[in-house]
Parts: sequence; C-alpha cells; structure tokens
Amino acid sequence: MKTKWAIILTVLLAGSLVAQSKLQTNPGGYHGELDYPMSWKRYYGYDEWTKIMRELQKKYPQLADIQSIGKSRMGRDQLLLTITAKATGKPEDKRAMWVDGAIHGNEVNGITCSLYLAWYLLTRYEYDPFAHELVDSTTFYVLPGLNVDANDSYVSFPNTENNPREPYRPTDDDGDGLFDEDQTEDVDGDGELSMMYIEDPAGESKLSPDKRRFVRVADPREEVRRFRRVGAEGFDNDGDGLINEDDIGGPDPNRNFPYGWSVAEGYPYPMSEAETRNVLEFQLRRSNIFASFHYHNTGRLIMFQAPPALRPPAGQTPGSAQAGPRMQQTVQQRLEELRKTDKYAYLADRQVAPEYQHDLDVQNEIVSAGARILKDYTPTIGGLSGQAHAATYYMFGAYSYLIELWGDPAFEADVDGDGEVSDEEFMKWIDLELMGDGWVLPHKAKHPDLGEVWIGGTSRKHIGRTPPARYIETEALRNANFVMYAAGQFPKVEFGEVKVTPATDDLFWVEVEVKNDKAYPTSSDRAVALKRAVMDKITVSGAGGAAVVELPKAVTAVDALNRAASSETVSAKGTEFRLKGHETKKFCVLVRMSGAEGTVEFTVKSKMGGTALRKITLKAE
Amino acid sequence: MTHYRPNGIFRRFGLSVLAVAFTALAAGAAQKVPISFDDYHGYPATAKYLKDVAAAYPQITVLLEIGQSTMGRPIYVLVVSNMKTGTTVDAQVPLRNPRAEGVKNVTPMKPYMGKPGQWICGATHGNEYTGTEVCLYAIDKLVTGYGADKETTALVDAKTFYICPIVNPDGVFNSLDKGISQRQNSMLRDDDGDGRVNEDGPDDLNGDGLIAQFRYKDPKGGFVVDGADPRLMVRLRPNEKTEKERWSVVVEDKDNDGDKRRGEDPEAGIDLNRNFPEGWWNDQGFAGGSGDYPTSAPESRAVAEFFVTHPNIFMAQFYHTSGGFTFRPLGTAPPTRLDPKDVAVLDLVMGKKYLETIGEDVPAAWKNPAAIPALREELRKTSKNKYAIERGYELPRGWMVSYDELNDRRYGFGMTTDWDFLELGIWSITTELWNPAVDIPGLPRVAGSEGVEGDDERPEARYALDRALLKFQDEKYGGKLFLNWKPFKHPELGEGEIGGWIPRYSSNAWPGEPLVGVCDKHYRFEMFRAGLLPDVVIGEAKARLLYTSENAREATAVAAGSEVRIKKGGAKGKYRIVEVTAVVENKGPLATHTARGSTLRGNREDVVWLVGERGKVTFLQGTPYQRLGVLDGAMRIPGTGGGGAGGGMRSGGPGAPTEESMTPPPQFQRRGGPPGPTQVRQGGARREVRWLVAVEGDSPLKIVVSSQKGGTKSETVKVQ
Repeated sequence: MKTKWAIILTVLLAGSLVAQSKLQTNPGGYHGELDYPMSWKRYYGYDEWTKIMRELQKKYPQLADIQSIGKSRMGRDQLLLTITAKATGKPEDKRAMWVDGAIHGNEVNGITCSLYLAWYLLTRYEYDPFAHELVDSTTFYVLPGLNVDANDSYVSFPNTENNPREPYRPTDDDGDGLFDEDQTEDVDGDGELSMMYIEDPAGESKLSPDKRRFVRVADPREEVRRFRRVGAEGFDNDGDGLINEDDIGGPDPNRNFPYGWSVAEGYPYPMSEAETRNVLEFQLRRSNIFASFHYHNTGRLIMFQAPPALRPPAGQTPGSAQAGPRMQQTVQQRLEELRKTDKYAYLADRQVAPEYQHDLDVQNEIVSAGARILKDYTPTIGGLSGQAHAATYYMFGAYSYLIELWGDPAFEADVDGDGEVSDEEFMKWIDLELMGDGWVLPHKAKHPDLGEVWIGGTSRKHIGRTPPARYIETEALRNANFVMYAAGQFPKVEFGEVKVTPATDDLFWVEVEVKNDKAYPTSSDRAVALKRAVMDKITVSGAGGAAVVELPKAVTAVDALNRAASSETVSAKGTEFRLKGHETKKFCVLVRMSGAEGTVEFTVKSKMGGTALRKITLKAE
Repeated sequence: MTHYRPNGIFRRFGLSVLAVAFTALAAGAAQKVPISFDDYHGYPATAKYLKDVAAAYPQITVLLEIGQSTMGRPIYVLVVSNMKTGTTVDAQVPLRNPRAEGVKNVTPMKPYMGKPGQWICGATHGNEYTGTEVCLYAIDKLVTGYGADKETTALVDAKTFYICPIVNPDGVFNSLDKGISQRQNSMLRDDDGDGRVNEDGPDDLNGDGLIAQFRYKDPKGGFVVDGADPRLMVRLRPNEKTEKERWSVVVEDKDNDGDKRRGEDPEAGIDLNRNFPEGWWNDQGFAGGSGDYPTSAPESRAVAEFFVTHPNIFMAQFYHTSGGFTFRPLGTAPPTRLDPKDVAVLDLVMGKKYLETIGEDVPAAWKNPAAIPALREELRKTSKNKYAIERGYELPRGWMVSYDELNDRRYGFGMTTDWDFLELGIWSITTELWNPAVDIPGLPRVAGSEGVEGDDERPEARYALDRALLKFQDEKYGGKLFLNWKPFKHPELGEGEIGGWIPRYSSNAWPGEPLVGVCDKHYRFEMFRAGLLPDVVIGEAKARLLYTSENAREATAVAAGSEVRIKKGGAKGKYRIVEVTAVVENKGPLATHTARGSTLRGNREDVVWLVGERGKVTFLQGTPYQRLGVLDGAMRIPGTGGGGAGGGMRSGGPGAPTEESMTPPPQFQRRGGPPGPTQVRQGGARREVRWLVAVEGDSPLKIVVSSQKGGTKSETVKVQ
C-alpha cells in the first residue's frame, strides 16, 4: 500500500514587506505632490533644474542618489538622478530604466518631462502602491538635461525655436574659414528671437489684414506695402553680407552615437562630444539597463527601435500562399482587424528574422499601450544613423524609445477637422486657448547693418517646438505614465502551479510552473544576439526526507499520455532558460521520499526578472 | 619594486660600429639638444627630449599635450613650424555685435594652423617604437637644419609638422621600461572576470630584467631545435612529423593569481589601430574593431580630436613595424571606394618615390603610365586579381594595401589610415618600418629573404635569415640581442630554459647604423611628401580706382510712378569706387583636397575674402568672400590624363542618409534672404577673382585667401 503524501506549499515572498506609511487607496486622495511642491507651468534653466534635483535627492535620500556623469564642453556638470528604494537593494543590482531629456539643446520639454517623472516617483512613493512597487523593484536613471550648455541657453536667452540645438563644438557651417562667427542676436532686445523683414517694393510679403503676420502676396499685381524676409533676428557679425549663417552648434548629438554612425551625418567622429560620450560611458558600465526613453521635440511620435528588417524570401511576401498562417494577412489587414476593438493598436510593418520576432512583438504591445496613454501620439520605427536610442537597442540590447514630445496643436486648434492647422486656426488658438499669449507683433527696429527693419509676425519661443507653459504638465504626466507603464512591464519571474505526480514507489515527479506575466522578456532577442543576455536559472534542492534525483537536462513528459504537457528537468547545476513576455515554462524534478516529511525548494534567479522561491513540503499521511 | 630602469644605462652599446651614426648626425648644424640613436629612447627620454627641443627652439617649435593615456601619461605632439610666419582667417576678419550671451567656445587659431600640415607619428602599437625613433630623427633634422639647410628652412617656414613620436605611451613604457612587450594600450580592465584588475600579466621569472621566452620539452610541443644553430627554435607546421625532440615555447610568465592560467589579465588593453571609426562595424552589425566603440580608448580619441581640430593636416604617416614596406589605403574596404585620381597620386607619385627610396623596382606601369591599357590586357591573362586588372598593375611588395584583393576580404576593422583617408580626406599611409634583410649594412645577403617578415609561406627563408641575423649580432653586437638559453625551473611547467631573441630588439630596427639608416630613408620620404603639399598664394593683386567723389552724400530714392524722387542726406566725405582683382593660385604640386576629401562634410572650399573697414566698404560686385572650389595642384598627375583632384567640391559622400530624419534643416535661413557668396567657377590651379567696391575715405583693403589644407595668406592692396 502506498503512502499518501500531502503537499503543503510554502510561499516565500520576495521583495519588500515594509508597510507603505501613507498609502492612499482613493485616486482622489492626496498623493504627496505637496511634500515637494513645484510648478509645472514653466521651464527651468540649468541652475534651477539642477537645484531641484539636488533638493529632491536631499529630501528623499532613501530613494535617490545624485551624481555628475561628466562635464559638458563649457564645463557644466551633467547631473543624473538614480532613483530606487535602497532598502530593497542596490541600484546596480536591479533592472533599470534609462530616461534622458533634451539631447537637442532646444528641445527642453524633455527636461520637464524627465524631471517630472523623478518628482512623481519620489513624491508618490509612500502614497501610491504602483509607484511604490516600481521604485522597489526597478532603478530609474534620470538625466533631465543631456545637452546642458545648449539646454540652458535655450531656456535662459532669446532664441528661435530651432537653436541652439547641438553641443558647442566650434564649426564652420558656411565654409568661410571662420568658426561660429555669425550667430543669432536679439536685435530689438525684447527677449524674443523673431523674424526680420525689410520694406521692399519688390518683396514677396505683406502684412496680414489683422497686421499680426507677414503673408505672401498672392497676386503680383496687388498694390500693397511689401516686405522682404531677411531671416531670424541677428547681425552680420563678420561682414560677409549674410546674417546668422554660422550660428553656434556643432554635430547633431543624436547622430553622434556609434551604431549606424556615418561621417556624412555624424561628422566628425562617433562620440566626439563630451555630452554624448559621458552618457555612453555611463551606460556601458551599467549592464542592468533594460529599456530607455529619450525625449525630443517635436511631432508626437513614439519612435521605437525595431529589430533589423529582413527581406522576405522570394514567394513569401505577406499574403502569398507559401507564407505561414501569420503571414496570410498583410500587416495592414491585421491592424485593421485589431483596430476594430482598440483604436490605438499598432503593428510595425516590418519583417524580421525568427530570432528577432519576439522583440518586434514586444514593441508592438508596448507602443500600442503608449499610443493609448499619450493619446495623440503615433508609433513609428526609429532611425539607425547614430541616434542614442539606436545605440541602446543595437549595442546593449535594451528596448528603446525616442519620444517626439508635443507638436502641432491640431487636436485643439484644428476646428474644421481637416487634419491641419491653418494660419487662421493657429491665430484663433493663440487668442482663445493661450489668451493671446505667445505672439510677437510686427514692429519696427533699428539694425546696424540693414537700417530700418521690421521684426515679428512669429510665435514666441515656447509655442511651436516646445509647449506653452500651460501644457507642460499634461505632456509631462502622460509621458511619465508611459515610462511607468513600460517599467511596470519589465519582466517578473514568479512560480505558478505546482503539481506532484507519483512516478513509481517512492519516486515522485514535482513539477512547477515558472512564469513571466509581463510584456517584456527576461532578456531581449537583441541582447541574446549580442551575447550580453544573462540567462535565467532555476535550481532545486531537497531537504528532510526529500532527495532530488539527479537527471540530465532534458525535456520530460511526466504524463506519458500527454506529451504536449512536457516540462524540462532541472539539472544538478541548475537549468538555464529565458522567459519571453507572457510566457510560462514548466520544470520538473524527480524526488525520492525516504522519511515522513521532506521539502523541495526551487529558486529562480533572473538578472532582469528578479528572484523567486518556492518551497514545497511533502508529508506522508 | 618596479622594473623601472632608465634607458641607456644598462643597455647602451659601446660598439665602434655605432660611432658612424654619431658623426653623420653631427655633420649638420649644431645640435642644441643632442640626440643619438644607439638605443631606443622609450617614453621618459622621448618626453624629455621633446621638452628640451621645445625649450631650445621656441621660434620654430611648440609642444602640445593632446591627451593622456589610461595610466595618465601625456601624449605629446611637437609642432615644428616657423611660429612667426603664417596667418589664419580669424586673425584677419574682425567681428562685431556679438551675441549678448557671450559663449566662449571658440579659441583663436594659431598661425601654424594656417599652413599645410603633415602628421607623422610612431608607436600606435607600444612595441613598435622604431617609428618613435624616426619621429625623433625627423625633429632633429628639422630643427638643426632650419637656417642651415635651404630646403629644410623653406619647409619649416611654409608648412607645419605635427610630430607625435609616441601615440601609445603606456604600451611603449611597458615594452621598453618594464620589458613587457605590449602592442595594445593599457586598460584598467578585469579581463578574466575574477574581480581583480590586471593581476596576471607576464613575469620576469629569473630576475634578469627581461621577459624573454621559456622553452621546455613537451611531447605535444610545436617546436624543434634548429639543426644549424641550436639557439634557434623552429616551428613545426601543423601535423608535421619529426624525429627530433619536441619543445614548447611560451612567454616568460607564471600564474600570479592561482587560477591555473598564465597572463590572462595583463595591463594590455586594446589595439589602438582597430579603434577608429572607419570600417569598425562588421557586416552583420556587430563590433568588428577593438574597444567598446570607435575612439573608446583615450589615446585614439586624442588622435581623432587632434585631427579634427587641426583641419590643415593633409599628409599623415602612421609608423608601425615591421617589414620594410608601406600600406597605402585601403585595408577595411575594397579599392572601389577610392577615386582613380587619388590612386594615381598614391601609387604613381608617392609609391614610385617610396620604392626608389627603399631600393625596390618600380612597376613598369608607374614608369610609363601610357602603357597601362596594354599592361591591363597582359594582366587579364596572368592575374586573378580583378582590382589589379582594373588598375592595370599589381601592387608591389613595397607599396601595397592590406585589403586582400584576391579574396575580397578586409584586413581588419577600424584602422587609422583608412579613417584618415576616407573620413577626413588626408593623404594617409602606414609604413611598416624595418626589413632586417636589407636594412642592416654588412649583413650577408640571404637568398629570397627580402620581405620575409611575417611571411608564413616561406619559413625556410625566414630561418635562413634568422641564422644570419643571429650570427651577425654575435659578431657586431656582442651577442646582446639574443639571450642564450639558461636552465630554469618553472613553478608550473617544471624544468626548462629561459632565453631567445630579446623582445626589445626582435621586431624593431637594430640600434645604431641600421636604425639611423631606416630613420634617414623615411625622413627623406616624408620630406618628399611635404614638398607635395599645396601652397595657395595671392598673385597680381590690384586695386584700380574707377571713380572718386570728394564730397559724397547719403541719398534715398523713392519711386512714384515713372518719377523717382531723390532726397539727399548727410555728407559722407570722400568716396571711391575701386575694382580689386587678384589671381589666387595653388603653386604646390597637389590639389587642395583629395578627390575623396572634396566630398566630405568636414572639408571646405578654398575661399578668398576682401576685408575692409566695416561700414566703410560697400560691395557692389562680388561678395566679401568668394568660394573658389578646390584648386588643382601644379603637378600633372600621371595616368589621369589631366590635372589633379578636380575643380570643385563634390556634394554627397557615399553614405546617403538612410531612414527617418525628424529634425529640420539647420537654423540658417536663406529663404528670402540675400543670396550666398559668389562662386568662382574656373578650373585648374588658378582663379581670377574680382570685386567692385565703394570705399569711404582712405579705408584700407586686404585680400585674404584661405585654403583649409593649402594655407592662408593675406595681402594689403593699395589703390592705384
């Protein structure tokens, strides 16, 4: 007569059991924002945003570290916050999310968005279970200003919305032998860099009827006061008859990273700028970076890195008879199907090799959710010509996203619904939604090179490329949510069901499910290809009356009549594997029972997915 | 206790044969800073020499520190050029109304940056320091020859030499001062992942101050003792059978960290000559070159940054050892990446001279380019190299490419010379110095041993040469280049012997006469190349007075229908209408850009400015600066049926933008603004330029011509 065995499962909880002191269960409750009050209705210059970072770190030392990752060309520190609950482990021991803002100097919206994320996580940690769990399990590296010299200039000095964009390497843009010698200047001293016009009977422009803009003269016979457009405000500094033709700024920092770099787009050489090199050097020393966000303006785009495109073999174009079931529909057809139930659904129109398919599936899932969180943003595949997010995915195997923040205010200003914002609609938007704020009226000014000029007819600085103050927080909140959503989908290894099946006599098969319910795998396909992936590992030990029988690693069908339900044996040294997103794997061991009671303990260690334990007690009845 | 040993104390040769070298050197002008080549200088002595030279010759030299090695040793470049001559555009064109923000990111250019530049460097690989000696020799020749020798004086006045004797200070220091041969830079890296950094490098086991070889009897060994000279070890071919006793030969080394491996975590880091951007990635999109990314090493970054911030550099030489030949581009890509005009300059001009310098036969095609079509037909029958057929000639041993043309395979990834040539448009080459078979005066000729260095196809010739060299060093160097095998009990491998060629001398030009010979040959070749540099000058500058008004007034003209009303304003005093003409000409042999360089983003056209007092000169015809395109050189490039590298800048490199570009074009807004500068479209080496200007008062006028690689000149023009 066989002994009957009762199975008692002892679950060991990994992670923090510390009570959350100010937990708020009501979404209408107080979530800590006023613990460190700050305005999200304005842009911050270098001194201000770094002061905020230092103060935040000082207020939340248990959650944040601050450091300089290096100095810019002009000697400013690039300050980085490392956010994670120190009580649950060291930052470098947890999987990490990298967030940087404003690699392009003028795209300072990224500073507020990344700073907002830091502030949100820190202030809400004690109040908000979601933020709490994230900060416990994950490290956030937040670099609000990457291109600090140009970032500060853009916020603190009069500039057009396009400049300064690059790091300050002296460059001879106009090929005259001089470097950065003819920059923009605020000619009329009104704190805005607008457009200059000269009255000229042969000019192509006239004042609009409301006298707020310069518009093209449509009918050449029209008798009207005409203007010739000169360009952005500035002087002819070098006396060559041109204005602003060699402004400050060197190579595009987002063509300066090594992956896909080319001399045509990325001159002079990869990582030539201190600002970008400091970032890559930091990232090289952090093998825990799992995903990255990079903020830009403008265009409302989620530009994600997709695996390399594969040309489909002949005769296997989507829809052809030879293509597999997945390929029977074109991407567009499948997408239309998906959008019947989810208007934000997205599918990348790209074919990839089988070993990269999971990365593409993951990205489709993440950016579809991102499109929903961000509402009016469009997912698209990112570029591969020296961008920062090309390096993070292709060199480190980290999932990466370039967010083009803000953009044309079509969602509010396009009242006739034609998908575009006309000049009239734009002016109406200024009048009604910005309460008239943000416009430079055409006015006369004296110019040392040109004599009398007209300046104006353009929006002020933070209108087109970067959002006006009143929109900053909305933009920041939604983007912080997207980052948190993504971090919330970082892999988490857990044990699922346990099944004990008598084999023969005193031998029992003990089977466990190991699962990852999150969207991301425990390492990306790209990390595997780069040989950077650290495999997950399951080990097992028996104690008391339970001894694990050593078996080589192999696929085993515990139920001989159901081979589909097979699992993998855990070998003596442990078995290595990788869990994809939403994947469950089954592992088994053969246990020999000798005493009245014994325990079998499984441990799963995953670099990116954390650690899980499952202890199973077997008792004879 | 470190192994530091000052150079030249233990190792100086007191041999009479070397006295020749001393005398030869002393024959020129007086040396304010004496230098001899009776042994290698190594890092400390090189640094001291450079400082001494810079202090002794401030009029023609300046010492720059362009970066630091991993271990904190400065990387020096000695600039040799007359510091009193030369000018740059920024010194000639005044600026006004600067932006209120006042960013100081631009430093004034040095006058020597306004002259054509030549880069010469050694020891990118730490154990290839023959190049260091050639650099020091060149410095000595230039500074002592200045004022004494006419040609040298002219070169130092008109050109700029950037000489970097040691690119890789840590590698050289370890190779020569610690005796640990180190090709790579140093890196603080845990190679074996045991949590400790650089804990297991080579060791001086017997305490003789050298890290030589350890040989021991080993039934599985791959060496046997040479029958003719038992000091030599002969490597067996794979699967070769032998009756003789088998030996293994390893570097003198032991297991320092008890992990049962020897030398698995040395200070040696990465190969710097695989750490440059061009061709660094492999075709599958993974790292091909060395380092975490191109220019990741501080030494390569220092070099890259120096080239980029000194855009006047037009010639570059990266010395390596050994072999006694030159690698001209390319190594990472097939020759189809080269413009035939550039190839003609490389081969038929520079290559021809190099072969003559080292005493090798010049290919028939180079002597008589007209015969190339016929030679091409010949090659079709005999050659399997499609690129050689296309060119019309095979590349000779002394002047070759590292790219494997026969099998269409690249030699390596991320090499300096290819980077310089393809991404900066510089005439860059890599000379592998030292061919012992021909560079040692008095060495008996060994049949078939020319260029046998590194040639695995001819082991017999290699060993024959080794025997001859061993005998020669016995007789002429007192046996100091070879360490005779002495018994030693290795802590892990047991009984054996330590000895062999002393690494210090085994792949570098032997000190004394051979070294001086190598230095002199290559110095002369580089001076030949310096003579090829473009030289852009202003000629026939004239300012012709067309009209004078003694009491001009401001005026405005307002049109109303067919009537124009002219209103006179305030008095402006004297006004002159002046026509300024000049001829800008490149008198140097080569064009101001390579054909490749004229397509590159970092390069600009030659330009000419007419500079007058701001506000007092009005340009009526011709813009203040005019673009001249690329000026051809004075030399007729053989085999190209015409002039040099062509008349203009060509837009668009081979790498066209690929995917998305969300960024708008740069801020510079020409739309509706004034047109750009006047473009002078004339071919050849000359440009006739012209302006018509209205000049208020006696305001002076100055012509400034500026070529990025052909020099900057200025000339004041007097109104006639």
